[in-house]
Amino acid sequence: MMCEDCGIRPAKFHLTTIINGDRVERNLCPTCMAKHQKQLPGIDFSNLAGILNSILEGRNEEEQARQDAEYEDLICEQCGMTYPEFQKGGMLGCANCYNAFRTPLTALLQRVHGNTQHAGRVPGGVHSGVSIRMNIERLKQKLQRAVADEEYEQAAKLRDAIRALTIQLERREGDIKVQPQARLHADGGEGANGDV
Amino acid sequence: MYEYVMAPEQDVVISSRVRLSRNYEDLPFSPKLSHEYAEEVIERTTEAVFGTENGAAFTFLRMGDLEEDARSRLVEHHLISYDLLKFVNRSAAMISSAGTVTVMLNEEDHIRFQGLLPGLQLERSAEMALKLDEAVGEKYPFAFDHQWGFLNASPANTGTGLRASVILHLPALSTAGQMGAVMQTVAKLGLTVRGLYGDGSEARGNLYQLSNQATLGRSEEDVIRSLSAAAGQVVEHERSMREQAEKKDMLQLQDSLMRSWGELMYARLMNVGEFMKRYSDIRYAASMGYLHAPLPGLDALMMDAQPGSLGVRAGKLMSPRESEILRAQFLREELQKLVSE
Repeated sequence: MMCEDCGIRPAKFHLTTIINGDRVERNLCPTCMAKHQKQLPGIDFSNLAGILNSILEGRNEEEQARQDAEYEDLICEQCGMTYPEFQKGGMLGCANCYNAFRTPLTALLQRVHGNTQHAGRVPGGVHSGVSIRMNIERLKQKLQRAVADEEYEQAAKLRDAIRALTIQLERREGDIKVQPQARLHADGGEGANGDV
Repeated sequence: MYEYVMAPEQDVVISSRVRLSRNYEDLPFSPKLSHEYAEEVIERTTEAVFGTENGAAFTFLRMGDLEEDARSRLVEHHLISYDLLKFVNRSAAMISSAGTVTVMLNEEDHIRFQGLLPGLQLERSAEMALKLDEAVGEKYPFAFDHQWGFLNASPANTGTGLRASVILHLPALSTAGQMGAVMQTVAKLGLTVRGLYGDGSEARGNLYQLSNQATLGRSEEDVIRSLSAAAGQVVEHERSMREQAEKKDMLQLQDSLMRSWGELMYARLMNVGEFMKRYSDIRYAASMGYLHAPLPGLDALMMDAQPGSLGVRAGKLMSPRESEILRAQFLREELQKLVSE
């Protein structure tokens, strides 16, 4: 469905305004919604959490108020950001806020991204089993290429690296912490990092 | 004599950009970032970037040290984001000599790495940004969570922190009234199209930006691949609409496009709004071979004729009228050079 105001962007919001008893309903894109909000005192659409909670979800106000009350006391002990403060500004105060507000943020991330599991790159060190699994996948692809190109020496190195990572993964799943150095060494060694 | 190299799909794609958002794990994010911490962000990042293999190619600029026109010029050339100027008291940028790599500091996140190339080259743009990201992240770890990926000030950027976009020139699709359909189609792929300049239904110069929305749940490669594929399809669609228009009435098409060339050659006052219309026409004409002007040259000129860039050229603050006079004169001279090469 396209925005009823500009007709060129997809409608993301359903806006109902009741002015002096007259009810007007419109489907709007975020840009036109932003224009309308200027005429609607009391609703802050620049507030990301607010938008997502109240509009996309289509939740009623009572439920919203109850939920807000539940999280109202959350505070990040590291930077002092409170959950209401985040709701107002849409930005977190530090990395630890993500832990402090983990429950509401899980729901928020699900609504914004349709997903709550990172599937991309991981920094150099080891952070999770996911990263190891992704590295294994990457190395397996390289291995296939090496075999196809008949680069057997390279293939052997990659096979060893995959084996080492697999052991790490099993160990980790047995809840033993992995040493970053061990993984870095296993991650292909010299010459195995042909592509980035 | 100038030399121009055509980039892939440059008849329709002006440029490809990839931005990566990152924050240092041990420093407070934007809302809690004090002056001291902002300086720490600058110190760490400049040290790490200057220390890379190509570090010497970067120029460091504090936004607060620049005149307003100079700042606008950087935005107009897509070297920095408009949002970087919201934090002028603390923000800075490192820009590579070729303008293809930028590191924005103390915007909404501590760092935004940017790769920017002409034409459809998202993979290479991403590579450039990711390479620098790795180099800096190795020295000073970024905030990262095993479930949620790279943690950024806004949860909307959390995950890969990657925003990829292409700028598309779509005169034939716009004229044919097909932009609504294009927007609907790409929305299904988790992508958005919006006018690059201006808001509402107006897309100045028929320039549109196609970009990804979500940053969590898909890998960088996956996002880049699907955006490239979608851009490729829009390119094909635009080309076929251009061909159709030509087939329908070539003389009519040439006439309407080349009239803009005449306006640009003889006008004595030129405002930005009119210029963008004329630019779109002559770019369209050049892509069809009706006008022998190099597309990279036209695109460079388009950015140079924007208000901030023109102001930098004039070296002084201009009244709107002075600016229109200078723009008309600048375009007459430069376009003449472009076609006589």
